[in-house]
Amino acid sequence: MSPAHEPFDELVAGHVLGALEGEDASRFAAHLAGGCAACERAVIDYQEALARAAAAVREAPPARVRHALLRRVGEAPARRARVGRALAWTASMALAAGIAAVVSGSWVRARLDQLAGEAAGLRAELAAQVQTVSELRRKLDEQEKTLTLVKAQAAEQERTLALLGDPETRLVSLAGLAPRPQAQGRIIWNARAGGLLVAADLPPPPAGKVYELWAIAGGQPLPAGLFTVDAEGKASLTVAPLAGVATVDVFAVTLEPAGGVQSPTGAMYLASKKA
Amino acid sequence: MVSPGTELIRRMATGDRDALAPFYDLYAPLAFGLLRRMLRDVDEAAEVLQEVFWELWRAAGEYDPRRGSPEAWVTVRARSRGIDRVRSVRRREEMLVAPLGETAAATSETGGNPVEDRELAQGFLRELPAEQREVIALAYLKGMTQSEIAARLGLPLGTVKTRMRLGMERLRGMAGSRT
Repeated sequence: MSPAHEPFDELVAGHVLGALEGEDASRFAAHLAGGCAACERAVIDYQEALARAAAAVREAPPARVRHALLRRVGEAPARRARVGRALAWTASMALAAGIAAVVSGSWVRARLDQLAGEAAGLRAELAAQVQTVSELRRKLDEQEKTLTLVKAQAAEQERTLALLGDPETRLVSLAGLAPRPQAQGRIIWNARAGGLLVAADLPPPPAGKVYELWAIAGGQPLPAGLFTVDAEGKASLTVAPLAGVATVDVFAVTLEPAGGVQSPTGAMYLASKKA
Repeated sequence: MVSPGTELIRRMATGDRDALAPFYDLYAPLAFGLLRRMLRDVDEAAEVLQEVFWELWRAAGEYDPRRGSPEAWVTVRARSRGIDRVRSVRRREEMLVAPLGETAAATSETGGNPVEDRELAQGFLRELPAEQREVIALAYLKGMTQSEIAARLGLPLGTVKTRMRLGMERLRGMAGSRT
């Protein structure tokens, strides 16, 4: 060993014992990083010496540690060896054991088979992730639809508020008639802007039927929109302004064939009093 | 020829859980003997032991047989996790003991006198002369730096460094002289 190397002979012991500090620590770290084979060898030898010293004072640990460890490992998700790492391992084993011996051995073939198995596992996982991505996309689409719906509802509410602010807007009550006396309805109506009908407690229309709203002006019923009800018997309908009609006398709701008709034919479920 | 320990680590590296139990049985007493000499509390030592083997299980792919034996791999990790715990115990004790003053602090994990330290080493490094064993044990088992040891023992820093080196060289020279 050269005299220039001498200080490091002392530092290596302190390094392995984790006792270096300050300048000594950084000096030795730089020296090791520079690739000193002698010091690398000494570090390994010292670590082996400490392992032997520890082996001389072996002590049986409490059994519960073993149980807890095996349970913990058993419960953890299966760990795939990273292929790259496993290959590095194979390479270093090959160097350690002697390349010729390993290449001719069946060990490498077994290892390659194992790696192929791991690759198959990775492919399966990739497929699962693709599945997850399409599932997420579907959810995103659903959320976008919901968002559109919410935006439409917000626009409708905004329209309702604007309508309510207009002094010409009227609030008209509709009462339930014979087929469904407990049914009720309200219309916010503005001749210029149109209006909004809300209804409650209407029975669901039978198949092939639909509710139709009528605006009766000057004795003439004008079709004002079609609607159906939700599971709770509630409905809401945006009503467009009726061209050329300044005053609506009565609003009424009848049950009509799907698609609606131009003049009422079915039973009347709701009607307002004549204004 | 690949040692049984190396073969178990190779299997652990591939995720073979069946390799862990025999690996643990082979090396846990080695790690636990060391941890017992680092930590006074047997429960602390047991807790750290589990952490060490959990880490070894997870890091099996990093084991490089060219860099040392499985025994050294286990020992280095046990010592490292053990020192982490020694330091946290020391911080805890300092927080609790500091208000009681210097006298009480002197009996904490790092405190006490050299006689107590030798007792704490419990046969570890018994082949070494006491003065070499003392500095190595304070560093290796208690995580003290060279200057902390010098201050603690009232020795010049150079003496501590020399004793460490002589002790480690002697230890290395004993290679193969015992199992």
